Amino acid sequence: MVKIKSKIEEEINAIFATDRPWVTIVWDDPVNLMDYVTYVFMELFGYSRERATELMMKVHTEGKAVVSEGTREEMEHDVARLHEFGLWATLQRGDQPL
Amino acid sequence: MNQSHGFTRHGEELFVAQFSDSEKEVLINLSQQIIELLAERVDHHNEDPLAAMVGITVHDSPPEDEVLLRLLPNAYADGVDASEFRRYTESVLRTKKQAHAMSIRTMLMSSEDGSIELNHELANAWLGGINDIRLALGVRLNVEKNSHEELELLAPDDPMRGVYGVYSWLGWLQGNLLEALMDGIES
Repeated sequence: MVKIKSKIEEEINAIFATDRPWVTIVWDDPVNLMDYVTYVFMELFGYSRERATELMMKVHTEGKAVVSEGTREEMEHDVARLHEFGLWATLQRGDQPL
Repeated sequence: MNQSHGFTRHGEELFVAQFSDSEKEVLINLSQQIIELLAERVDHHNEDPLAAMVGITVHDSPPEDEVLLRLLPNAYADGVDASEFRRYTESVLRTKKQAHAMSIRTMLMSSEDGSIELNHELANAWLGGINDIRLALGVRLNVEKNSHEELELLAPDDPMRGVYGVYSWLGWLQGNLLEALMDGIES
């Protein structure tokens, strides 16, 4: 009985865990031009030039920045598109330290 | 000499450039190398034809080649998650990057006078393709460790000096295509 209950709890936790937001992180890269990184953020995410430039500067000065948030599936999609354009991106749970 | 002036915007959605024969040759050559580099790892033993058709590969380990690893990076810090993601996506990523390089190569090869006209979509393909070449050359030049000042000071007979020259030129070309593209965008 106890075993079944903990199993159910585990399942429920798993369901909520998949809803917890995930994040896409872009890492600084010495090759990619600043304008290019800004442009890719605008094209892929539809960000304004101002917002895209801010994010690019954050990547450049802090070494990394969260560029999008959502479900794991959405973040995997974002990372795949960023890789297509040669940006160095990873995804992880939003509640984990960067 | 008939040096390229880079890309300029023509009207709403057209980006035009004129390349010299030598510039054409360099771009065609490098694009071809990227296409070949990104060709599938051949492993007939375990290939499941059905899985291959939907883009699932048996390869889930990161590429050993440094350049390939930069072009096809891990999506997760965690090794197990990275492998799983790679298994389902690496093949698609290779194909997309090859398509970018292919559009540079085929357009230049079919342009007799070196003139190129890109719409927005093709401009994005060119940007991505040029960027992949720069990433590949960047790994070889070790730009991570070597500063631009150091690379500028390479001896004239150092073969890396020529590579750095091409790398810089591609940066300039990519920069002016970006400028032309962003020209029409409000900040």
